Amino acid sequence: MSDAPSTAPSPTAAEDAALQSALAAAHTAVWGYAVVGAALPLEQREPVAVARQVHRDLRDRLAGLLTSRGVEPVGAEGGYALPFPVLSAVDAAVLAVTLEDGTSSAWTWVLDQATEAGTRELGVAELGAAELRAIGWRTAAGRTPVTTPFPGLPD
Amino acid sequence: MSGPLSSSPAAGAFSRRSLLLGTLAGAAVLATGCTGDPVEDADAVTPAQVDQLAAQVQVQETLVAAYASALTAAPELATTAAGLADQARAQLDRLRAAAPGAGATSSAPPAPGTPAATATDGPPDAAGAREWLRTRVTAAADAHAAACPAFTGGRAALLGSVSAGLRGQAGQLA
Repeated sequence: MSDAPSTAPSPTAAEDAALQSALAAAHTAVWGYAVVGAALPLEQREPVAVARQVHRDLRDRLAGLLTSRGVEPVGAEGGYALPFPVLSAVDAAVLAVTLEDGTSSAWTWVLDQATEAGTRELGVAELGAAELRAIGWRTAAGRTPVTTPFPGLPD
Repeated sequence: MSGPLSSSPAAGAFSRRSLLLGTLAGAAVLATGCTGDPVEDADAVTPAQVDQLAAQVQVQETLVAAYASALTAAPELATTAAGLADQARAQLDRLRAAAPGAGATSSAPPAPGTPAATATDGPPDAAGAREWLRTRVTAAADAHAAACPAFTGGRAALLGSVSAGLRGQAGQLA
């Protein structure tokens, strides 16, 4: 019998990879909401601060979860480039929609890949929360309809 | 700055949409019975899950009926709710496609937590139609969210997504 460590993949390997994507999305959102806030007048920044804190908390929770599984959590990138110039309040709202839609996609992928029921419980809760935030920003951006039947799924 | 947002980790999740789409397409194929051997499908469902999926289809059928009742009782709701009703019907179509054997009308028992009476009752009056409808949208979102963890793969993703979409609808009716 060999003493070599098992090379069998972890039973949660696919789930962990999806959680890493959700963590990466949280890092991106924390960064992106700083840009959103900077483009808005002071009196309109409260929802930005709230959303940014939500993503910070989520980032920390995911990092803790992955660490507890012996997985090194992905870190934030050194920098990000904006997908478009953010020069107005509407631009800021559109960027926030992009961030929340990205979050929804990441969590839908977690639901697709998860092997643990508890992870799917987390995923469905976070997906619902991201969609509610996205609706607020779609409204601010003047988009219609503000709701979508399949958040996070392909059109 | 480096690392454009469009290729950021969040965008990485976007790029995986094609894989997710493939999974859901697989579910639809399974629903139509066109797979060679469903047992070999990694996303196959157990008999118990077939029943539960049918129950979720019924939840959505009930919700679609509730939209129709509310719009009949309170036509002025159409400005807000007609588009939401269309989205609820689109959700129903996709749930049916993912539910093996689901027909036009499900005969499955109501999902846990879903009042059986909602299939046949209607809003108390025009003034109360909006709140009556919002309550039912929330109940459907709760039912799909509760069912989601029991599934895996594309069906879990679909139930979670539909639930999230309905949470958004409920917010618009508040």
